[in-house]
Order: sequence, then structure tokens, then C-alpha cells
Amino acid sequence: MINYKRFELENGLKFLIHEDKSTPLVAMNILYDVGSRDEDPDSTGLAHLFEHLMFGGSLNVPEYDMPLQMAGGENNAFTNNDITNYYLTIPSQNIETAFWLESDRMLELDFSQKNLDTQKSVVIEEFNQRYLNQPYGDAILRLRPSAYKVHPYRWPTIGRDISHISETDLDQIRKFFFSHYAPNNAIIALTGNIGYNRAHDLAQKWFGPIRKREINERNLPAEPEQTEERIVVIEKDVPADAVYKTWHMGSRKDPEFYTLDLITDLLSGGESARLNIRLVREKKLFSEINAYITSDIDPGLLMIHGRLMKDVDIKEADQAIVEAVNSLFDKGHIEGEMEKVKNRYESSTVFSNTSILNKAMNLAYYELLGNADLINRQIENFRKVNHKMVTDTASKIFIPSNCTTLYYKSTRKEL
Amino acid sequence: MNELQRIKPPLFPVEKVDIPEAASFTLNNGVPVFLIESGTEDIMRLEFTFKAGQSREYIPLLASATNMMLSEGSQNYSSEELNRQLDFYGAFLHLDCDRDRAEIVVFFLNKHIEKILELSREIVFRPTFPEPELITLMKKRQRWHMVNREKVNKLADDQFFESVFGRNHPYGYMVLEKDFENINPSMLREFHNRFYTTDNMAIIISGKIHIKTIELLNQYIGDIVINGIYNPDNKINLNGEKGKKVFVNKENSIQTAIRIGSSTITKRHPDYPGLKILDTILGGYFGSRLMKNIREDKGFTYGINSSVNSLNLAGYKMISTEVGKDNHRKAIEEIYKEVSLLQDIPVEKEEMTLVRNYMSGEMVRMFDGPFALAESFKSVWEFGLGNEYYQRLAEKIRIIDPDEITELARTYYNIDDLYEVSAGSK
Repeated sequence: MINYKRFELENGLKFLIHEDKSTPLVAMNILYDVGSRDEDPDSTGLAHLFEHLMFGGSLNVPEYDMPLQMAGGENNAFTNNDITNYYLTIPSQNIETAFWLESDRMLELDFSQKNLDTQKSVVIEEFNQRYLNQPYGDAILRLRPSAYKVHPYRWPTIGRDISHISETDLDQIRKFFFSHYAPNNAIIALTGNIGYNRAHDLAQKWFGPIRKREINERNLPAEPEQTEERIVVIEKDVPADAVYKTWHMGSRKDPEFYTLDLITDLLSGGESARLNIRLVREKKLFSEINAYITSDIDPGLLMIHGRLMKDVDIKEADQAIVEAVNSLFDKGHIEGEMEKVKNRYESSTVFSNTSILNKAMNLAYYELLGNADLINRQIENFRKVNHKMVTDTASKIFIPSNCTTLYYKSTRKEL
Repeated sequence: MNELQRIKPPLFPVEKVDIPEAASFTLNNGVPVFLIESGTEDIMRLEFTFKAGQSREYIPLLASATNMMLSEGSQNYSSEELNRQLDFYGAFLHLDCDRDRAEIVVFFLNKHIEKILELSREIVFRPTFPEPELITLMKKRQRWHMVNREKVNKLADDQFFESVFGRNHPYGYMVLEKDFENINPSMLREFHNRFYTTDNMAIIISGKIHIKTIELLNQYIGDIVINGIYNPDNKINLNGEKGKKVFVNKENSIQTAIRIGSSTITKRHPDYPGLKILDTILGGYFGSRLMKNIREDKGFTYGINSSVNSLNLAGYKMISTEVGKDNHRKAIEEIYKEVSLLQDIPVEKEEMTLVRNYMSGEMVRMFDGPFALAESFKSVWEFGLGNEYYQRLAEKIRIIDPDEITELARTYYNIDDLYEVSAGSK
């Protein structure tokens, strides 16, 4: 049980505090309710580029990292489809430095043209390193626009086209800041060696004076139901064939979410999961295979992807995935396996909550979903799933017309 | 906005890092156990560690294959049954084999401790190394290897270690595709008999320790006695390759991976804490010289870092980055420039304070929570050191002066001794 308290400042900024005196550190997580789904289709990748710029200096602080490190702190950040998330840990006696720095960059950024130019190059190198210069790195770049035709999830967080990054200018960036970065569009979680009163005083002192900003209501086009199976083929010089399959599912907030999370655990959570036992160990079709859900706030995807062993026919491998998924409908062994993945889930949740940083990230994220108390209900929600829920949900999701398949084929002869 | 309110808050130094001592005792069979009590959750991290790493193997992959096959079948359980039970009890098993040590680490909820100890006993001491599982594993790993060798990072790493330690040294030789076809069960059984012995191991436990923990350990592990033949530490001469500059060609690469470094002293050497500080200034944190110059000023890369690492037979230092291929030479020149600056010009006071404060914060993080504590304990214990190493490091962080940094840079970063490995397309 994770005890926490919450309060909200007059400007709409929400705080969640979980005190843990067993550590000399405090973790601070600031979640801004803006992700790549909020970008203009002709200017994608901006939310992520912006995350880089947040370290380039603010109204009263020429540079973010130096004073934080001077206080013994360490930080990082990530951007995804839904959120931009900044986090740090710092010895508790210096937590006020974190308030000073984070409130200043919420107040107003002040970075230079030179800074923007450098971060554009850094992000382009990031794009090259993660997507273009890795075997199979571009699969996800092709898969998203095939699975989504309308919704902004059709582009990846790094951007739809890298020219969007290189063409961004300071004006666009400023506009983006004031329309998304605001106290009334953020959630802060503090965990570790800090009590409610100290957190409240510091919050009032540093964030209290920041004015509320006008945030446009989010109005994203809904993805229409997929009505026919989609197949994409990439042929490239990679060492082995690979198959990627995605099915549309609901939102992170739907009750069905836990059922689908459990389904992917049955399929690939642990060495004894079905895909590993049947397709890797018994049939020897894949060298590795994974199933997971994207956990997006708008309707997301369930993905299964694997790399093939030598001399395996790609269609046969694809068919074997479909059969493994269909095996979820059989009653045989299923109860024991469901108990197994529930135990495993409980264990990994307890382990994840041993870290103050994970707790801070989770509290802020669950608050965004509408209920920070989810942090204490995850295990219970997962345990509630029964076999009927699995078959009901599976029969809705795993139909060919809801599926996009990417065949990533090797052009190498010696295979 | 009231300007007075935005004045930078005062800083408070980290006065002292609390480093708990590990409790230790010996099982009935003589196996040493180290216990680190920490954390609020009723969980445990249980580690069995053996001197059975790559430096012990006489053909490539033998040590790692033995380690990875431990959970693939035992006297009382099939591979499927072992994995199913571990998953059923929510236990996470990590089999890890590095250059010096082979490890079996299990994370679990304390309520399942008896079952986990029973399974661990099977995995660690009674593996059967069945052939069908071995063949599947080796074919799988061969495929992973082929995919990895497509990455400029992996190409550069492999070449770096071969160049620095030499192609015949256990830290240096590269694994080849055909090596995956040369391993058979009897080799693994022999390696296991020789090195996974009760006189060649220790147990490290962290998390919530119960009164019964010790009793249970004795019950499940304390009666096993397997003595190996005497295995002295290898005394293999380090013989770095002659060519200092190597370019590994990988057609159609957009980026080029760079590794620059050489072998160096280990944690046992008195200069090691100082070298750690020097390395942090150069490339060990986000505010480092290399990050500031090559990422934050030039925008050549998504990331660059340097590290100093200690192994049993030798240490090494390595600067590592991936840059756009057109900036390859420019990036290398800037790296050498940063090394030279540290040799020629004393570090300014403000940067000294920055690195002192940052590293003091890092030391707090190194001892926060049961898993961090276990890792920190192990990383000195395996060198025959104890917490006094961390006391020396903390003291060095406090008192080191700019002249000593310059001196260390001249002693340990002689540019003519550095290997320069690149992988990419010319």
C-alpha cells in the first residue's frame, strides 16, 4: 500500500506526495499533458524536440543541468505519444533547488537560436541512431501509418519526416510552449524523504505565482474502425526475416485494458509463456518473439513481433502466431496459466514500487488517467480477469480485419 | 512575478554517505553468505556468484553457455517445469556471465522463499544440460549474434576489446558465427563440475532478512559439498594488438561508431578513485566535457560518454559514441582535444565543485535501496576490497585538487597509447 496525499494550487497545478523516510533522496516527476498526438501533422516531432529544448535555459537560469548537478541531482526525460515526462532524484536537503529549476522552466523558457540549431542536429542523430542505423529499426516507422490512417498515433514520437525537425523555427517553438506548458496542464509527484508540509510550502513559493494559461481543448480525430486486413512488405539487407502483427484495441482507461495486458502476458510474459514454449522451443520457428500492448491513452495497439529462424517460411511463421493466439480459447491448462501470470504481475508490481522514482512516475501518470489511486489497485484489477473475459476480448480483437501485418524480408542469398 | 522569490536557493553539501556494512556468516558447508538488510517491501534479491566467467573458458562461449543452460533442465525438473515454476511463483531469474564471474540472481517475494531455494538448488547445483535444449539455445543465440553484428556499436565494441586486450586474451577474442556450433553437453558438464563448486562461490542476499532466512539457507544449500580441483587465477599476459587505429567497414551506415581507450589500472590500485573523478569530468555525466562539446555545442551525436572499468586481470577505459559519418574525423579530433586540455590546463574551481557535488549525489544513489546496495557491495568485494574503498573514494572526491587531475590525465591518458576503433562506412 502506497500512502500519498494530494493538493492543487490555485493555478491548477496538481501535486502528489508520498513520504518515505527510509531514503536520503527525493524523486520529483513532472508530467506535462502533451505528447506527439498533439502535434500538427505537418510539423511532427515537435513535442520531443521541445523536450530537448527544455534543458537549454529558462528566464532566470541560463542552463538547467549545471545547477542540478551542483546540488547532487540527476535527471532525465522522455516523450511519448501522450505525455512529456521530466524526472530527477536529488539528496533531500537540496530539494528546493529542484523546485527553483522546474518552476523557472515552467514560467518561461529562454533558449537561443544556436541552442535550437544544436538540438535539431542532436535529434536528427537520435533518429539516425535509433531508427535508420539499426537492423529492423525502421519497422515501427512503417507500421504506425499502416495501422492508423487518421489518428495522430500514425506518426512516431520522433516525427513523421525528419525534415519537420530541420524546418522548425523559434516562433513555432514559442507557440508550442505557451499552448501546452502550463501549471494547469501538469502534474507533479514527489516521493521519498519529503513531508507534505514542506512540499506544500515549496510548491506555493515556487509554482504558486505562475499564472494559469489558456490550453486548447484536445480534439483529435478518432481512428475509424479497420475493416480489412492490411499487409505491408519491406525487403532489406537484414540477417533474418521478421514478422510484425498489430491489432487495434481500446484505451488505457478501458476496463478491458487489464484483460489485454494479461493476454499478452499469457503469450510472452516469461520463459514459460505460450509463444516462447510453442513457437520458439517446440516448433523452433522464431529466435525471439514478443507480445505487448502500447498502453496509449487513446485507443492503442496490441503488438506481436518475432524474428525467424533459418529456413522458416514467413507465412508459416505468421500462421503459427495466429494459432497460438487462438489457443487462448481452449480451456486446457488455462486456469493454471492465468494464476501464474497474475502472480508474476503482482511480483513485478511490488518490485517496481521499491524505487522512489518509479513510484513518482506512476503516481503522476495514474493521476493523469484520472485516479492516482490506481497505483494501489493495479494488482486487484489484474486479478479480476477471468477466462471468460479473456475469450470475450480475444474474440473481439483478434480478427483478421482488425490486423495489420508487416513482413520484413531479408534479401540475403545465403539464407 | 516577485523577483525576490526567484533567487537561487542555498545548497547544502552531502556531509556523509551512510554505507551499511554487510553482515556475513558461513553455511554448514563453508559457503560464505553476505546479508544486506534494506528497503520497506518484503522482497529478496538472492545471488549465487562463482568465479566461472569467460576468463575460465578454453573455447569461446563455454562459460556463457554453461551459465545460460542452468535453467534448461535439472535432476528433478525438465526445462519447461523449471521455467513454469519460476514464473508461477513470480520469481525473476537472471543468469549472467561476464568476463570474470558467472552469476545466478533471483528476485522474489519473501513469502515464496522455500520454493525459490528448492528451485535454486536444482538450477545451480543439479543441472543436466540436455542436448535438445542446448541445440535450440545455440541456434537462437547464433541468430541474435548475427543481428548484433549488423550494429556498428557491436562491431566497434568487439574490435575495441580485441585491440586492447589482444586476440588471444580471454577479454579480447571475438565470438564467431561458427563458435555456436562447437559446444556440446559434455563440455558444459565438465565446466560446471570444475567451476560451479562450493569452494568457488559466495551468496549475496539483500532485501528484507528474516530470522528464518539463515536456517532455510542451511537447510537447502548448506548440505551441498562440491569441491573442485584447485583453480588458481589465470595469469595471462596482456598483449594488445599492434595497430592502434582500426576501421571496421560496414556498408551503408549513416553513423560511425567510435571507441577510444586502452587498458588501465584496476580498483585495487590506489590511483583508481582519482581516475574515476578524472573520467567523470571527461565523459562520465551529462555535464561532462565530451557531452558539452560534442553533443551540446557541435550537435555531432545523440550521446557520448567515457567510463573506467575494473576487471580482475586488468581495467580499461573507453570513450564511446556514434556520430554522423561526415563528422567522424571532426569528432575524433575534438575527443583528443578534450583529453589534451585535461593534461595541460588545471580544472577551474567551479567545475571542480560541480563534479564534487555531482559525484557526492551519485554516491548517495549508489547506496539507496536493496538492489543498489547489493551491486555496490559486490563491485568491491570481488576485488577483495570493502567499504574502505568507498570511504577512500568519498574522501578523494572531497580533497582532490586540480593539479592531481592534471597529473592523472598525463599518467593515464597518454594519447599515443590510446586505441582508436571506428565502425561504419568510409
